[in-house]
Amino acid sequence: MGIEVKLAFDLLAFISVMVLIVLGLGIIASMMGIFNFAHGEFVLLGAYTVYVFESSGLSSWAGIFAAPVVLAVIGLVLERLVIRRFYAAPIIAMLGTYAVGLVIRESVRGLLGGHYKSISEPLPGVFTLLGVDVSAWRTVIVLTTICIIAGTWLFLARTSVGLQIRGSLENPNLARACGISTSKLYAFTFAFGAALAGLAGALIVPLYQLSADIGTRFLVQAFLSVMLGGVGTFEGPVLGAAAVGGMAAGLPWLVIPVLADPLVFIIALAIVKFRPQGFITQGRL
Amino acid sequence: MSDKINRDRPQLGRRGLLGAGALGAAGWIAGGGGWMLAPKGAFAADPIKMGIATDITGAIAPSGNANWQVAQFTVEQINKAGGIGGRPIELFLEDTASDPKIAVGNVRKLIQDRKVNVVLGGITSAMRQAIKDPIVNRGRTLYIYPQLYEGQECTKNLYCTGPTPAQQCDKLIPYIIKTLGKKRFAMPSANYVWPQLLNKYARKVIEANGGEVVFEEYYPLDQPEYSATIGKIRDGKVDCVFNTVIPPGLQPFVKQLYESGFQKNGGVLSCVYYDENLLNYHPAQEMEGLYSCLDYFQSIDDAFSKQLQADYMKRFPDTKYLFTAGSAATGMYRGIKFYEAAVKATKGDLAREAVSAAMDKAKIEQGPGGGAEMVPGKMHCKMNMYIAQCKVDAGKTRYDVIESDKMVDPKEC
Amino acid sequence: MLSEAGSGAGVTAGGAGRSGADGPRQAERKRAFRRVLPFVEGATLLLALAAPVVLGEQTNLITLLTNVLILSLLAISFDLCWGLSGIMSFGQALFFGVAGYAIALVGRDLGFSELWGTLPLAMLVGFVLAGLFAAFLLLGRKPPTSIFVALGTLTGSYAAERLVSGWQYVGAGNGLSAVKLLKIGDYEFVEGTAFYSLALGILLLVYAGARFLKQSQLGLVLAGMRQNEERLAFLGYRVQLFKALVFSLAGMVAGLGGALYSYHQGFIGPGNMGPGLSTAAVIYCLFGGSGTLIGPILGTAVVEILTYVLADQAAIKAIWPVILGLVLLVVVMFQPKGILGLFLSDRERIGSYGRRRRDG
Repeated sequence: MGIEVKLAFDLLAFISVMVLIVLGLGIIASMMGIFNFAHGEFVLLGAYTVYVFESSGLSSWAGIFAAPVVLAVIGLVLERLVIRRFYAAPIIAMLGTYAVGLVIRESVRGLLGGHYKSISEPLPGVFTLLGVDVSAWRTVIVLTTICIIAGTWLFLARTSVGLQIRGSLENPNLARACGISTSKLYAFTFAFGAALAGLAGALIVPLYQLSADIGTRFLVQAFLSVMLGGVGTFEGPVLGAAAVGGMAAGLPWLVIPVLADPLVFIIALAIVKFRPQGFITQGRL
Repeated sequence: MSDKINRDRPQLGRRGLLGAGALGAAGWIAGGGGWMLAPKGAFAADPIKMGIATDITGAIAPSGNANWQVAQFTVEQINKAGGIGGRPIELFLEDTASDPKIAVGNVRKLIQDRKVNVVLGGITSAMRQAIKDPIVNRGRTLYIYPQLYEGQECTKNLYCTGPTPAQQCDKLIPYIIKTLGKKRFAMPSANYVWPQLLNKYARKVIEANGGEVVFEEYYPLDQPEYSATIGKIRDGKVDCVFNTVIPPGLQPFVKQLYESGFQKNGGVLSCVYYDENLLNYHPAQEMEGLYSCLDYFQSIDDAFSKQLQADYMKRFPDTKYLFTAGSAATGMYRGIKFYEAAVKATKGDLAREAVSAAMDKAKIEQGPGGGAEMVPGKMHCKMNMYIAQCKVDAGKTRYDVIESDKMVDPKEC
Repeated sequence: MLSEAGSGAGVTAGGAGRSGADGPRQAERKRAFRRVLPFVEGATLLLALAAPVVLGEQTNLITLLTNVLILSLLAISFDLCWGLSGIMSFGQALFFGVAGYAIALVGRDLGFSELWGTLPLAMLVGFVLAGLFAAFLLLGRKPPTSIFVALGTLTGSYAAERLVSGWQYVGAGNGLSAVKLLKIGDYEFVEGTAFYSLALGILLLVYAGARFLKQSQLGLVLAGMRQNEERLAFLGYRVQLFKALVFSLAGMVAGLGGALYSYHQGFIGPGNMGPGLSTAAVIYCLFGGSGTLIGPILGTAVVEILTYVLADQAAIKAIWPVILGLVLLVVVMFQPKGILGLFLSDRERIGSYGRRRRDG
């Protein structure tokens, strides 16, 4: 019994990581129809913020709370300066955001001196739950993810801004006709998506070491998750992330790990090909 | 490093007419990149050019930087003593960036631009495989590989100064099985040649000593998730994890293993490239109790080694890149000293065939952990080997030596 | 017969088929219109031919230029997809890398590295693999969105890189090194002027072929596709099939480049088929100017040569990739036509079709 609980927990922990990373990407893709190639670098910047805090002697917790704020600002600035030019052409958006990501990634690489840095968990160690040892930090991640999903859902469903966002998701032209400033909403959404990415980066960095390339590690999986789940809704990408994360963590049980790795992509791509609208159909694409 | 570049030397002199002309003036022919350590002071004789190709950036950077610092340290010692036969050594560095694809291009610069007489470097076997062809075949240059590895590298003009599987496993594994009583082995491994061949050798030794390999599995180098592995370790009642996962997949693995309580419940972790430098990769408590077998540990009670350490720390105070064995630093020292001995024997003849022939029989009397001697015809050397266990002391690691063996035969080629 | 597929604002109605209604104004514009492209092409060709003579013994520079030529093939392959047909492919390196691996394996396992056998093999590998890929991505009941194609190619390239990194037979993460040298009969091509000449010859052939394609009827269809797929579909053309064809041809070119790369470097690794190299191809092409075929070559040359030179200066070494990223961003945002866009008119970029009338 203990082993099953442990494994279920490990699976849940990894899925939470995927969901955290994908959430911001999904929201931006659903809202503005662009796949943000710089999303991985937003995750990186979140992680880097924690590193900066930690190496300046400040508390890592402060860094974790600061990361989404920092990223929201960066996201807002980028949106105003760069991203808004691309809304009409999603393909150009991919190229443009790729360039942004390249700039960010190489800047961080330069700042890190090309090295990998270890960041310790603010809450280290394990504790016993139901007779099983679980990692404290991974528990924090799982709980935070649940809170964020709940919070975002509440925000979209219960607030007026959330209503405006949902309206713009379904029919931007009509929303604009009703007097909703989609331009402001887009800016807000992009900043929000970036903040989520920053938070994801801040939370997962103690697990995976900081290097300039952590952003690209999960990028393709994130894109696939969004397409798998369905662009245009909030739940879609979450489900997609759960599917991809579950496959990534679960397949090594069935096939050898080096085969499981590319298999996740092949399966996800095949599913997207045959069900292009994703699991949950609604909205844009 | 620009203040060290000796401006008296005609940088473009050997490039011929056009090089020194228009393009040179425009700064286009900038001489191949990397860093250069030129000897200070007036040396009448032509310098000997030594190329170092190691990972200054990337996943293996902590070891690569240790290599580079040790190379500088050793060469400075040699130059201070008058060089080799009156000729100073000039060092050139190229960053292989932990990426074989980039390394191939950069190593080519060492050979074609700098025209070095010998190349030392490469840490992972993947790197060695990538750069040995441009160096040894296309570049027709001598290559010394300083890191512990899987053996079976019998290429001519390629000398290995790091430990081989025979040197690392022949005593360590029987110790784990017989003295520690751990018989059920798991082999989580990075998916490339070193773990594959090392595991093959280790398996033979394990089974010959009455142990059992419960599972042997290979992961992509940057695998982030190991719950399936931990599950198998638990299911299979594994009591010794013989780890060959390397960075960047190493950190999540070791962390998940530690979090699963493996060591707490009496499991033994063993990894033959672990040394004092690993603190750069992950926190100390995750490696407490680990067993390693290398050619040198800092706790060895040897006057020469202790002096060498002290001098190194004086040269690089407060550095986090320590002079250790798992990071190929000791192999780098050994390699440079072997080269020195060989060139002394050829009386200054730098032609590859001559130096290679002399190197084949070279001996060094003293080094970190003891001296070493090349086994003629075998491209590998005998060295002292030590089994040690990692103890943690206020966030720092200390390797306590348990057993030592003198002049162990590499048993290669 | 459409005389021009271009639409962009400010492009004069040119070439054949123009009525002489606004005589003097049109004549003025006609005078002002100079064909720049042939000059650019001619100058590049001259430089390329002169290089080995001028550089002589400096093998490292000849090697650099040979690399430029080989990578230009990859950039052209991307241009065939994007510049000519509007297919955003983030995975051209897949065909580059797989072909490179194929010929390395043939050299290792069969001991065969004759030019007349391996280069066609590489082209075949590239063509077939790209064809299969195109079939999966492009064909089917519903036409795919461009995002799907872009992400699909990216995923393919990435998944292939991961797969090969784990496969021992092809060297796993080590890649394949000590690739058997390319040869004709007994003559072996090593890095240097000989290989440079070979690469240049092949690039010229590919370039000529691509130019021919671009000016042909097929090129006309592609131009129409690039401008407005729906319209072309309504005219009765099976757009996805044409896309698949071009994609396969582009894959063939990329495969050829991959084989040359493998022989030249003596090494091929998983990184040579992954998104890193694929996006480098995008950068080369966009930087030089997509759609022009000479643009990708220029872009590759500028980026690679600058990288080589700047990598030497320790100060710039760390920030060169950042600069490259910024330049790419500026290009995408403000000058999507790349360097060549600065002095190439839209009309020349897009091209004219049809027979020239005597008043032209």
